[in-house]
Amino acid sequence: MFDKEKVGYSFPPFRMTFERGKIRELATAIGDDNPIYHDLAAAMAAGYEDIPLPPTAPTIFTFWGNTQLWEQLTSVGINVMRILHGEEEYEYLAPIQPGDTLTGVTTIVEGKSRRGKDGSSMDILTTETRYTNQDKVPVLNARTVFVVREPAPASSEA
Amino acid sequence: MANGVLPVLHYFEDVQVGDEIPQLVKSPVERVQLVRYAGASGDFNPLHTDPAVGEAIGTGGIIAHGMLIMGFVGQMLSDYVGPQALRKFGVRFKGMTHLNDVITCTGQVTEKHEADGQGFISGKVQAKDQDGDIKVVGTFTAVLPLRK
Repeated sequence: MFDKEKVGYSFPPFRMTFERGKIRELATAIGDDNPIYHDLAAAMAAGYEDIPLPPTAPTIFTFWGNTQLWEQLTSVGINVMRILHGEEEYEYLAPIQPGDTLTGVTTIVEGKSRRGKDGSSMDILTTETRYTNQDKVPVLNARTVFVVREPAPASSEA
Repeated sequence: MANGVLPVLHYFEDVQVGDEIPQLVKSPVERVQLVRYAGASGDFNPLHTDPAVGEAIGTGGIIAHGMLIMGFVGQMLSDYVGPQALRKFGVRFKGMTHLNDVITCTGQVTEKHEADGQGFISGKVQAKDQDGDIKVVGTFTAVLPLRK
């Protein structure tokens, strides 16, 4: 179960340099064939300075930027094998360009644990990650709600 | 956008409260797509790629990354206002998406206002499957250029 003492806790900052190729990979996986995501010349012809980020590109920062995410969540009592994504919200503060080096700091802003009479439990954890670029300009805030449902220990499930 | 060279897809004046965002119907979700998405996003949670894990935790086989479905909705918004016009975009994940589900994204403009010489629109979005089951619901805010 989630350790409620950890509300307000920030994990160590993580850093990643964002590469153009990751945008193409993500757009391809989504099935978005808009040429602005695949071809620099097409992006520039459309008026962009470089290949722009698709709206959900910050998910790349979440996982490729912070490869310790699952370990960190485990360290505060979350069973990551049972984690479900409840909500995701991005606040886009300034453009992010390929080549930018982003620093993210993830803070646990809210956490609730409920235990059922049968011993089952549900944790709801909200994190907020604030990203700044190499010039220390805030560029993005990401808010994530994780939901973790655990069956009663006595259950012989799986 | 600081330098003001945002490509113009819509002027603020041309968008009205109640306008429907052109809907986006995606191809059926494929297993290879989930493998691709795992690699692209870096989310290698095996419940998205390994059927045995899906069976073990009771999701009925592998399920799509919620973020892939948010990505579909993002594609619709990107087509509508362009990616750099978005100021806020958030969703709640309401249901699991399985292989071969056909996701349709829709949305509507719910609010518009001017502030600091810029035009802002907000709206609601959703994604549902071929049976009408809702996968995500959400909201967005975007900045649009003023004609005047």
